Parts: sequence; structure tokens; C-alpha cells
Amino acid sequence: MAMLSFPNIAYLIPLLPLLGFLVNGLLRNQLSHRAIALIGSGVMALAFGISLLVFYHVPAGAPTILTAFDFIRIGELQIPFAFQLDALSSLFLLIITGIGFLIHVYSSAYMHEESASHYGRYFAYLNLFVFSMLLLVMGANYVILFIGWEGVGLCSYLLIGYWFRNPAYSQAANKAFVMNRIGDLAFLIAIFWLIARTGSVSFTDLPMAIGTVGQSAKLSSLDITGITLLLFIGATGKSAQIPLYTWLPDAMAGPTPVSALIHAATMVTAGIYMIARSNLLYTAAPLVLSIIAIIGVATALLAATIALRQNDIKKVLAYSTVSQLGFMFLALGSGAYVAAVFHVMTHAFFKALLFLGSGSVIHAMSGEQDIRKMGGLKKSLPITYWTFLIGCVAIAGIFPFSGFFSKDAILLSAFLKSPIFYVIALFTALLTAFYMFRLFFLTFGGSFRGTEEQHHHLHESPAAMTIPLVVLAILSIVGGWVGIPEVLMHGGDRLVAFLSPVIPVSSGHEISHATEYMLMGLSTGLVLLSILFAWNKYKQYRAEESDNSFARLLENKWYVDELYQAAIVQPLHKLGGWIRSVFEPKVADGAIQGIGRSVRYLSQQFRLIQNGQTGNYALWMVIGIVVILSVQFFLRK
Amino acid sequence: MNLLLLAAAWGVLMMFLSVSGISRATIRTIAQVGMGLLFLSTVAELQGIVFYDLNAPAMLGVDRYALVMLSVLSGCGLLYFLLSAKDMADVGSDYSEYFALIFFIFCGFVLVLSFTSLLMLFLGIEIVTIPLYILTGADKRNLKSNEASLKYFLLGAFSTGIMLMGIALVYGARGSFSTLELVGASGIPTQLLLGGLFLIFFSLAFKVSVAPFHFWTPDVYDGAPTVFTSFMATLVKVAAFAGFLRLFDHGFGSLKSSWQIWAGILAVLTLIIGNMTAVYQQSVKRMLAYSSIAQAGFMMLGVYGLGDAAKEGMILYGASYSLATIGMFAVLTRMQDQTVEGFNGLAKQQPWISALLAVFLLSLAGIPLTAGFLAKFYMLQAALPATYGMAVVIVAVIMAAVSVYYYFRVLQAIYFREPSEGVSFPAFAPGFVRILTVIALLIILLGLQPGWLLRYLYF
Repeated sequence: MAMLSFPNIAYLIPLLPLLGFLVNGLLRNQLSHRAIALIGSGVMALAFGISLLVFYHVPAGAPTILTAFDFIRIGELQIPFAFQLDALSSLFLLIITGIGFLIHVYSSAYMHEESASHYGRYFAYLNLFVFSMLLLVMGANYVILFIGWEGVGLCSYLLIGYWFRNPAYSQAANKAFVMNRIGDLAFLIAIFWLIARTGSVSFTDLPMAIGTVGQSAKLSSLDITGITLLLFIGATGKSAQIPLYTWLPDAMAGPTPVSALIHAATMVTAGIYMIARSNLLYTAAPLVLSIIAIIGVATALLAATIALRQNDIKKVLAYSTVSQLGFMFLALGSGAYVAAVFHVMTHAFFKALLFLGSGSVIHAMSGEQDIRKMGGLKKSLPITYWTFLIGCVAIAGIFPFSGFFSKDAILLSAFLKSPIFYVIALFTALLTAFYMFRLFFLTFGGSFRGTEEQHHHLHESPAAMTIPLVVLAILSIVGGWVGIPEVLMHGGDRLVAFLSPVIPVSSGHEISHATEYMLMGLSTGLVLLSILFAWNKYKQYRAEESDNSFARLLENKWYVDELYQAAIVQPLHKLGGWIRSVFEPKVADGAIQGIGRSVRYLSQQFRLIQNGQTGNYALWMVIGIVVILSVQFFLRK
Repeated sequence: MNLLLLAAAWGVLMMFLSVSGISRATIRTIAQVGMGLLFLSTVAELQGIVFYDLNAPAMLGVDRYALVMLSVLSGCGLLYFLLSAKDMADVGSDYSEYFALIFFIFCGFVLVLSFTSLLMLFLGIEIVTIPLYILTGADKRNLKSNEASLKYFLLGAFSTGIMLMGIALVYGARGSFSTLELVGASGIPTQLLLGGLFLIFFSLAFKVSVAPFHFWTPDVYDGAPTVFTSFMATLVKVAAFAGFLRLFDHGFGSLKSSWQIWAGILAVLTLIIGNMTAVYQQSVKRMLAYSSIAQAGFMMLGVYGLGDAAKEGMILYGASYSLATIGMFAVLTRMQDQTVEGFNGLAKQQPWISALLAVFLLSLAGIPLTAGFLAKFYMLQAALPATYGMAVVIVAVIMAAVSVYYYFRVLQAIYFREPSEGVSFPAFAPGFVRILTVIALLIILLGLQPGWLLRYLYF
């Protein structure tokens, strides 16, 4: 039974969803809804159970490496198919399988109206998605991570385009895939760069690569900067940062639980995970860290402003994800890797809650997503109402909800990096509280603004949907308590201690308790004010919100999509057209035809020399002899 | 030396048979038996069974290279006789003499491959070429044949003169004809020696039709009766090349710094001119004539590269090129329309012959899995280490690609065109098809397992 004990049992964690994918995918036409849901969710429950086991067994010191087989072996280069179990990966395993399981359960009710074969397809993709993500976080080297990384990209494409009959949805899927591929290219180059310089892609070899005591570094500082920058570009694709973020808001074309999966448990956190995993490299590249912080804070602000004026319930949440991911990158850029991972965790709780809650609302509203046509849902959807409120409070960051602790850690790290970052981040936090509560009040407050028919159908969702909401709501409250700052509770920051084998605890950034209290108080107070402002503004719905050019700019998402369209897509189309109509026939074809023509021309000329006159032949021979002899005897030395 | 005696004796026998009045079929059988004996005697000598040894080391000395080459030549000669002996009857009335001349040419082959004296080289070359003048003009009533014969004779005499002058200069410089003492102990050549070397070089280049001494080739090959063109373009050329390599590898090898570069330049020139001109030919016979120049360019790479790799390459090239070309010519002789269009749609009516032709053409073009590919590969490998070897190899590879064009044009006609109106294809005798099949199998066998032949080089 060696297989079923730690650490070998960890193999089952990715294998179970893979099994679910295969069974549901291959037998989707034979199985009933019930069986499909049971298999899909069952493998997730089992995987979560094993993840828990692994989590409690993970040794505090060196990581446990599980090598399945030799994957790639080229000369000196060895890339084993290996998993790495340590604090960081086991934490992510819990998030992915735990929230993944809840989303599976929720989906079983949410997607119930699909036909059995589509239902099977949906669960198969969902399992495959989780499998890819598990591969990503369990991989012991960049290549395995990359395989998962690509798998996640593929599954997001499949799930965003799940309703493939709608061309707009297919287009959104394409957009997500292409944007991700752009980032992936950079990631791939980074991997090859790393291989070329160090000959290894294993995480455990990273300390050697950057040089430890008594060992010279295999990477120059230029190498480190280049590699980390390329890895970060890869992360901007997967984790939706400037400039590759525009796919994420469109990705809500997929079913709502898929959005929850993408935004909370999988996919977008991959970039954060990868950078946290590479923290040794990044710490050695301060320039790239600053770039990450700037991109992060800029993305956070930009997405938050856009969210202010969106009327689609899922779009607001989507932009809030982009914004929150910006926060996480700000933390990474500030060197606070633990804070970033912490926020990944708390964000996973409340964002999954909010998305699933919005799904419940949409479900009740018979598919309506426009918050201007909602309102007054408090009475009909009490559980959704309360859990959604908890989610909003958590994301706004009110003590003692989970968002407070992680956001506070990020704000603190930003403050230490530069007060400018802090001010922008704080302002973004206020915007966050504002647009979340605008969403909340418009959806649940006031009176119902939908049609009579919708009103008639309003109902609370079934238990399969509300139970996950309740669980997530509890987690959104208590989830932050693993990282209580030292100033509030001695030894409260258990996360830092837990992750310390992977992410070394940095010292030196001491800050006085008074300042820390002041920062906490400031953010909490301002956030409360911001919520109050939103309540005042949206407690009663007014038909037209103030219409000025800035608002229009926000409503149109800063015209970034249009900018990309004009600056990149259109020129590419033009270039393609030019290549087809001018370059290909004239230059490329011309060159090839030209070779053929010149051969024919030479051929004709040679034929003319061959004129049948014996005297001429002798003359040519003599000319040849004379030329060779003259060159040989008079020119060559 | 088994072959020298047998070939001379059989040549004399064939001459006398011409006045005996026996039937052509019998004459043919006797000739084929004779060629078979030539082949067997050479193979026997390879195995160490020598029943005639001319003990004249200052004149002739066979080595394994010569023996393997002679086996290839007599083996191809046997296949040639089996395939084409019948066609010689269509050329003229002197059936038996044609065979006699070919046996005499084989005597010349022995000299060209085993000379240790420049005089023997000269004799060998002349014994090979003088019968060829006659064979070229064998179709006495045909003006083209007569013209070709005269042209060949005039230009051949010209090159013979050059060779004699070269040998005289070498003798003047060294006071000896021996190829073992061509270069003095100092290794520094006198101008006189170099002059002689270059004149011999030109003359041999003429014999193997290397540019710019190739002009006689298309006219002579085109004018000569096709059945003899086949012989000239293959066995004679290969033998001359083998002698060329023998002289310049053993005799003048230590002076290669002065002449090697010219071998490379002439190889490149030959490849370009041969391939470029072949592209434009409509007549398959002329196309093969030019392609034989192009193939000569490849064999010239062996003279350029030297060493064991070149010898292996020369043997493999000689075998693969001769086999494929003999097969092509044998079919071509039987075709009504000898242009490319004449082959249109052959595959629909004669699938097996078409498949065999495809093997020959693929081998000539140097496509993998055929002997032609490995032969080209060996040659390139031999040429690569030489000075400027890389540049020469690149040109050779490009030109090999060009050659695909004209070989595949025939293939395309065979497989992808509809037969022209009013053209019917000849019926091929079963025996003829069997021999062709053997040739195709040999090409594929050598393409897969060249060691089967080349291992005889070493013991």
C-alpha cells in the first residue's frame, strides 16, 4: 500500500480529474445527468481530500520531489516528469481542488438544463481544466509547469466557447486563446534561455543558477533580468495584466461557474503562482520587480475605473478580477510574495462567491445580466443576498473579513516600496468598494425593475447552488485569519511561517506599529466612507447616470479594445492583404519563377555554343586550355 | 590479368566468326558467353584465382581498386550484352565485328585501370577510343553517324596529341614513364613537369567529357547508333574516370596543391553546363547525352576529392550510373518516338516497364533508397574535405536538384500524361523485361547495402 501513502498518493490528485475527464468525455452520450455530475464532482471531492492529506504531510524543510519518469533527455539536459510537493504547491492544491469542488457541485444544478451530451462535455472540460491547473502547480520544473500552463489555456478556450453556436462567444474564446499564446511565447523563450544558460529547468536548481555561497552564478544579471521579464510577459497573458488583459472580461462569455473557476481557482492565478515560484530569480532582478509593480498598480487602477461604469453584473466582476490581480502583481513587484499568495487565496474565496452569487441572480432573472434591470432581489433571494453581501464586504476589505488582511498586507508592502504606489493602491481600493457596492445596491436594493414575467419567476436557487455559496461565504469571512498581522496578534501571521521554506522571509523592512495602525485605520475609514457614498448614490435607482465624456470613456473601457483593433489587428490584416496581393505574386513568386527563368535562359545560351562546328569545339577547348594554363603559371603562386 | 587475356582472345575469336557464316543468334550467344566469362574471370581474380599473370610490374599492376572496377565494368557489360546485343543487328551488317571491337575495348579497360607507366595509360586510352570511332560510325548509311564519327575522330586525335605532348613533357622532366616516380623526392615540381601534368589532365578531361572539353559529347552521343551511345556513355566513361582517378591519386596526388583546385572548378563548370543544357532538351537521347555530362561533373568530384572515399564513390557511381543508363537506353532504343512526349502515358499500358524506368530515373536523379543517391552522397563526402570543398558541394547539391527537373519530366510523361494519338508502345520481350528487372533490383540493392559491393575493395 505504498502507493496510498504520502507522498505517492499525491499522484492521484491530478490523475483523478483526468479520469473524470476521460469517463465523462468518452461516455457523455451514455451517462445520465446524475451520473455525470456525480463523477465530475466526486473526483474533485476525492482530490480535495487527498490534497488535505498532502497539505498536512508536507515537510517543513526541503520539498518532496516525486519523479514519475524521464520525460525529456537530450544530451546533458534532463527534464524529468516530476511533481514538487511543498508549502506553496500544497496551498494551491487546496485552493484549486477545494473551490474547484464547490464550483463542480454548483455547476451540477446551474447547467442542468443542458442536454446530457453537452452536460458531459461541460464536466469533462471542467475536469480537464482542473487537471491542467494541478499539473501547473505540482510540476517540479518549468516544462511541466508550461504543459499545465498550455492546458489551462486550451481548456479556457474550450469553456469560454462552450456555447459555440454563438459566434460572439467563439470570438471571445479565440481572443482569450490568442492573448494567452502571445504571453506563452515569451514564457517559452524564457524557458529556452534558462536551459541554454543553466542546463536545467528544475525549481530546485534555481538557487544554483543564481549562485549561492561558495558557488558562482550560472546566470549573469542580464540573463536574470531577461528571463524574469519574459516570464512576467507570460504572466501578463495568463493573469490578465496590461497589455494582455482584454481577454478576461470577454471570457465571461462562458457559463458563469466557468467564470468563477477561471477568475478564482484556476487560470488567472497561474501567473502569480509562477512568479512566486520563481521568487529567487525575481529577487535578483530589482528592475523587473519595479516593472511588475508599475504594471500591477496601473492595471488595478485602470480596471477599477472601467468597473465603475459597467452595467453587466459579470463584467463588473470581471474587471474587479483584473483589478485585484493588479493588486497581487503590485505585491509581487514590492517583493511581498507571501502577500500576493495570500491575496490569491482570499480572492479565490470571495471572487468565487461573488461569481457564483451572480450566477444565482442570473439564474433567478431568467438569464438577465443587466443590473439596471434588476433591483429589490433581497426578498426573493435571501441566501444569495446575504452571501453576496459578505463577498462585497470581503472584497472591499472591512475588518475582520478575509479581504482586509490580504489587502492590508499588499498596501503595507506598497507603502514600503513607494508611497506613490500606496496612494494609487489605496485610491483603487476605494474605487473597488464603491463599484462593488454600486453593483450590490443596484442588484439587491431598491425596487424590482425587470419585466412582470421575470418578477413572476424570481426564486431562490436550489441547494446545490446555495450550499457552495454559504461555504464560500464562511471562507470569505474566516479565510483571512491565517495571516493576521503581527501588530494585531502575536504569531498571527501563520502563512508567512508556513511558506517560509519556499519564500524566504525578508527582514529589514521594519515599520513602526503606529504607522501600521495609521495605515490600517486610514484604509478602513476611507473604504467605509466610500461604501456610504455608494449607498447614498444608489439606494434609489435613477435612470440615467451622469453623462459626461469621462463616463463614456469608462463605459467604453478606455477604448483599449478599439486601440488594439486599430493599432495591431487592422495593420496585421492590412499586412496580410499586402503580402497576398503584392509580396507573394511579385516578390516571392517572382524570385522562384526567376530562378526557373534564368535556368531556361542559361540553358538556351549553352545550347547556342553547341552549334555542331567541330572547329569551334576545338577552339573552345584551346581557349579553355590557354585560360587554365595562363592562370596556373602566371597568376597563381 | 585474367580479363586481359580473355578479352583479347574473345575479340580475335569474334573477328574470325564474321567470316564463318554462322547465324547471328549463335554469334550473339558466343559474345554473351564471352562477356560472362570475362565477368567470372574478374570475380575469380578478386577471390585470388589467377590463371594468367603478366609479370611486368613496370608496365601493369592490378590492385583491388582495379579489380573491383573491372568486375563492375564486365558485370555491366554482361547486362548490356544481354539487353542490347540484339539491337546491334539493326545498326549494320558487321554484327560480329561490333562484338569484337567491344572486347578489344575491354582490353583497353584493363590497361587504363592497371597501368604503372604513362605509356600503358596512353595505349589503354587509344585501345579504348579507336574502336569507339568505328562504332560511332557503324551506321554507315546514316549521315549523322558518319559526321559524329568524323567529329569524334578529329577531336579525339586533337586530345591524343595533347596527351602525348604531356607525357613527353613529363618524361623530359623526370626521365621516366613510371607513374611511381612521377614526383621527385623533393616534392617540388619543375615547370616542365607541371606543364606535362596539365596537358595530361586536359586530355583525360576530354575523354571523360568534362567542361570545357565536353563539346564533342552531345554531338557524338546523338549521332552514334543508340545502342553504342549507351556503351560509350556508361562503361567507357566510367573506365576513363577510373583511370583518371588512378593517375591523379597515385601519380600526381602529392602535387594536388597545383591542380586540385582546377579539378574542382572543372567539376562545377561541368555540373552547371551539363545540367543547364539538359533542361532544354526535347529528345530523351540528347537529354541523356547532356545528363551524362552532368553525371561526369559528379564523378569529377572524385578526382577533386581523392582518397579512399573517392575510390569507393567512383565504384559505386560507376555501377549505379551505368546500370541505370544502360537500362534507360535499352528501353529508349525500342521506343517509336524518342522525345519526352513519346513516353506519354506509358504507365497505363506498360506498368511494369514504367516502374523499372522510374527506378532508373530516380537513381539517376539521386533520390534516396536508390544506388544513385548513395553514389552522389559518397562523392560529396569525398569532395567535402578538399580546399573549397564546401562551396563545390553546395553547387553540386543545387545542380543535383536541377537534374531532378529533367529526369522527372520523363517520369511525369510516363505517369501523368495521356498517350498521344497514333503512338503505340512496343511489346517488350519477357527476357528483356527480366534483365531490366535484375538491373532495377541491383540499383535498389546497392542503394540499401553498398557495402555488398564496396567491401571487395578491402581485404
